Amino acid sequence: MKRKPYFLLGIFVTAGLVLILIYGLFYASRPGEIPSAQISQKAKPFQATTFDGQTISLQQFRGQPVILNFWASWCVACRREAHIIEAAYQKYGVKGAVFIGIAINDTREASLGFIRRYGKTYLLAPDNKTGTISLDYGVTAVPETFLIDKNGIISEKVLGAITKLKIDRFLLNQL
Amino acid sequence: MSLKGLFLFVVGIFVFGMISAAEDIDNRVREIAHMLRCPTCQALSVKESDAGLSVNMKERIRELLQEGKSEEEILEFFVERYGEWILRSPKKEGFSLLLWTLPGLILLVTVLLLFQYLRKKSLITSVVETRALSEKEQRQIDNDLKRL
Repeated sequence: MKRKPYFLLGIFVTAGLVLILIYGLFYASRPGEIPSAQISQKAKPFQATTFDGQTISLQQFRGQPVILNFWASWCVACRREAHIIEAAYQKYGVKGAVFIGIAINDTREASLGFIRRYGKTYLLAPDNKTGTISLDYGVTAVPETFLIDKNGIISEKVLGAITKLKIDRFLLNQL
Repeated sequence: MSLKGLFLFVVGIFVFGMISAAEDIDNRVREIAHMLRCPTCQALSVKESDAGLSVNMKERIRELLQEGKSEEEILEFFVERYGEWILRSPKKEGFSLLLWTLPGLILLVTVLLLFQYLRKKSLITSVVETRALSEKEQRQIDNDLKRL
C-alpha cells in the first residue's frame, strides 16, 4: 500500500517528461507552426505603396474583411496559391472583400515578373527594405496569410499556401 | 600646438568617437540578435542566421537601438509580435517557470526517493557500531607490531 504514492509520483514525472519531449520535438522546434501571438488582436496599421504607385493603408478598409497575404517571387508555395487568391478576389472583391499582397525579401523586378506571370490584379505592394510590415505581423515564412475581420481583428493566420476552402469559409461569414 | 595640429587632433577625436559608437551599436545588435530565435530556421539564433527575415530583424534591432530603445524594450517588441517562443531563453514565469524548475525538482525528488529506498534496505547506517579490543586481540596486535 505504501508503494502507491511513489508509483503515482513516478507516473506523473514520466508523463511530464514525455510531454515536454513531445513539445520540444514536434511543436517548439517548428516556430512557424506555433499559433500567431496576434490572433484575436487588432491588426497592426500599416501604409504601403502598391507596385502601380497607389498609397494604401489598412485603416481605409475598416468595416471590410481583409485577406492580407505575404509572398515572394522565389517562394514555390506562393505559385501554388497565386491563382487561388486571384480567383477569390474576382469572386469576393466586388462584394466588398479586400485582398492585399505584400511582397517580402524580393526585388521589385522579380515581384513584377511574378505578378504578370500569374495575372494578379488585387492590391500588391512591396514591404520596405527592413520588412517593417512583415515584422509587425510576426511573419515566420512565406506564404503566410492573415484573415482580418470587418472590425480589424486578426481572425486567423494561415501558414503555407492558402486554400479556396479557407477563404470561402472566412468570407462567407464576413460578407 | 599649431592651429593645423589642433584641427587634426579634434578631427581625430571626432572620427575615433564615431567609429567606437558604430562598433558599440554593432556589438549590441549582435548581443540582442543572439537572444532571439530565427523565425524561419530551426535551432539557430537571429545572429547566426542569414535568412531574409533574420536579416530584417537585425536591421530592425539596429533601428530601435538608434531610436534609444533599451534591450528589454526591443525584446518586448519582438515578443509582442511573435510570442514568447521568439526568445531563446523564455521568461521565468508561468509555464516557462515550470519548465525551468522541473529538471531541478525531478533531481531533488529522485535523490530523496533514492535516499529513502537505500535507508529502508539498511544500506546506509547512521550509527557505526564500535567495541573495545579483547586482551587476546590486543596482544596479537602488539606482537605483530614488534615483529615489524
